[in-house]
Parts: sequence; C-alpha cells; structure tokens
Amino acid sequence: MLVQVGMGFLAALTFGYIFRVPASQTVRCGVVGGLGWTVFLVAEQSWGEVGAVFLAATTVAVLSEILARRHHQPVIVFLTPGIIPLVPGSKAYLTMLSFVQKDYTQGVVLLVTTLFLAGAIAAGIIITSSLFRNFSRTKRMGR
Amino acid sequence: MEELVGLILTAGELLLTCGAEMARVEETIERMGRAAGFVQVESYATPTGLFVSLHDPQGKVYTRVKRIRGGQSNIALIAEVNSLSRAFSAGEITAQEVRRELERLQQAGTGDSLTRPLIGGGGALAFAVMMGGTWLEGLVAGLVGTLVLLVVSRLEGPFPKVLQAAVGSVVAAGVIRGLGRFLALNSNVTILGAVMVLAPGMVITTAIRDLLSGELVSGLSRSAEALVIAVAIAAGVAVVLSLGGS
Repeated sequence: MLVQVGMGFLAALTFGYIFRVPASQTVRCGVVGGLGWTVFLVAEQSWGEVGAVFLAATTVAVLSEILARRHHQPVIVFLTPGIIPLVPGSKAYLTMLSFVQKDYTQGVVLLVTTLFLAGAIAAGIIITSSLFRNFSRTKRMGR
Repeated sequence: MEELVGLILTAGELLLTCGAEMARVEETIERMGRAAGFVQVESYATPTGLFVSLHDPQGKVYTRVKRIRGGQSNIALIAEVNSLSRAFSAGEITAQEVRRELERLQQAGTGDSLTRPLIGGGGALAFAVMMGGTWLEGLVAGLVGTLVLLVVSRLEGPFPKVLQAAVGSVVAAGVIRGLGRFLALNSNVTILGAVMVLAPGMVITTAIRDLLSGELVSGLSRSAEALVIAVAIAAGVAVVLSLGGS
C-alpha cells in the first residue's frame, strides 16, 4: 500500500516535470497525485472501480483548486499531473490488446469500462470546477 | 497602439502554443486589452488560430488573425504569461517590460535534452508498478520509457505528433518483446508503463476544461487530437504484438 502511494506520488511528480510545471510546484503536484491515488485505492473496495475513480478525481480537482488559489497558479498546474495516475491507460491498452487478439466480446466489455472510467474523471473535474467557479464568483468577480 | 496590438497578440499566441485553455487565452487578451486602453476587446481563440479585434477610444478598430502552429505543453510558460498579464493590468509593469519578458519567454529553449527522458522514465516505472508490476518490470518499463522519450525527441519538428506517438510505441513494444525472451516479464504491464510517457494527458485535461467552459470548438478538436494520439499509440503496439505472434 505504501509503495503504491509512493508510486502515485512519483507518477504525478514525473509527469508534472514532463508537462513542464513551474519547478517550485512539482512536489505539490506529486502530493496531489499521490493523495488521489490513495483515495482510489481505499475507495475501490466499497465503491467499485468507477465510483472510486470519480471520488479520486474529485479529490484531485478540489486539492488543485485550493492549491491554485493559495499559490497563485493556474489550476492546470496541479490538475493535469494530479489526474495522471487515474487515467485508465491500462484498460485502454487491454481493450486494444483484446481487439488485436480477435477477442471482440472482451474488447467491447473493456472499451465500455474505459469509457465509464474516463467519464468518471471528467465528471469529477467538471463538478468540482463548476462549484469552485460559482463560489469564487460570488466572493469576488474574476478568478 | 499598433505596438500594443502586437504585444497582446504575442501573449495570446504564446499561451496557445503551450496548450492553455481557451478561456484563459481570451481572458488574458481581454485583460491586457483593457489595461492598454482599448474600449472594446473581442477575441476568439481556437487551438489552431487566434482572432483579436480591439477598439480604441477614437473608434478605430484593429483586427488581427494569427495562425497557431502546434507547440509543446509547457505549463510553466502558461503560468508566467498569466502572471505577466495580471501585473500589466494592475499597472505594476509597463508595456515595454511585458514585451521584453515575452521575448525572453519565447526564446527560452527547453534545454533539458537528457533530464526529461530520464524523469519520464521514472514516470514509466511508477506506472508499471501501480498497475501491479514487479520491480523488475518497473525497471524495464522505466528504461524503455527513457529510450522512447529520447527517440521521440529526435523526431520532434519534422514529424507530426501522431507519427511520433506511433513510432514511440513501436519502439517500446518491440524492445520489451525482445527483452521478454530473456527476462521473466509480464509484457503487458511493462509495455503499458513504457507507453504511458506518450499519453496525451495534458490535451485530455484541457479538452475537459474547455468543454466545461462552453468552448465547444476547441474542446472537441482537442478531444479529437487526444483520441488520434491514443489510437496511434495503440496501433504501434498492436502492429508489434501481431507480428510477434501474440
């Protein structure tokens, strides 16, 4: 478990570097990604995969919005690397693998799962940022 | 006035080539235009082109179109242009200073030819282990991920992103299949970790944020870009796997 959390941290941190996040923020990106991955791992047992990804994406989005405001950075600085550990890359890969091996039934099952997972991520981001946008608009105009 | 128009256009162009969200680009142009003394500022940004129309107090209208050619994701640059425009509209810095800073940012090369692949390899390692791989698989994924990024960085420029992704994934899958003959590897997990360094993560996030803020044109075009890159990665791996007799 601890190794997994560490790997989530490492993945977000390295991808933060790849996307050229401001150097002073890369560690925070790693922390956001690691926490998101932790939430996913904890919630997966009881919420199922899609629910856990939704919960984790929401966590990442909330943390990103808070950090962005506190450190005067654009939200994408934290959001983009933070969401990386949750991206259903493995499902997308296995989908393709099934199609290549002519196992179309399994491929379609995996494809639908991939789409649901991607949708869960999008929903988590969208709901959180709309809430934050409305909240900050009432507080003061602009962002 | 003419100079200010150019300045605003440069800022917008820089943001777009670095992969900023449309709302941010338009907001920045609007903010800088108002601060520069234009009474009405209209802008329309898409990932491939920027249209700006600025009305000065005398009623003269400056309209410019700027074609945007694909660049590289660079969040740090987005953040810098963002804070520059804020400082400019708050009156903390002059137009001259903004121009100098923008020129500096435009010229600042990436200059990280080796560290980037190495750190990306760390990401590949992390992914392989997160997907349930062993440390050996993680290590191989990390090394191959580094190799992939090195190969892809050689292709940058003349080749479109799609081709870069396809070549990168062919390299990753090929090398790992080859190593799989000598090492006890779960090739699926290893290949997956290595090709993650090619995944269009930044494009996906901005696409979602664009769609959310009602930027349908750029949201859809970016989703299409992400999809095409993902398919290219998959196709590269698929070609190698089907040649290798599964």
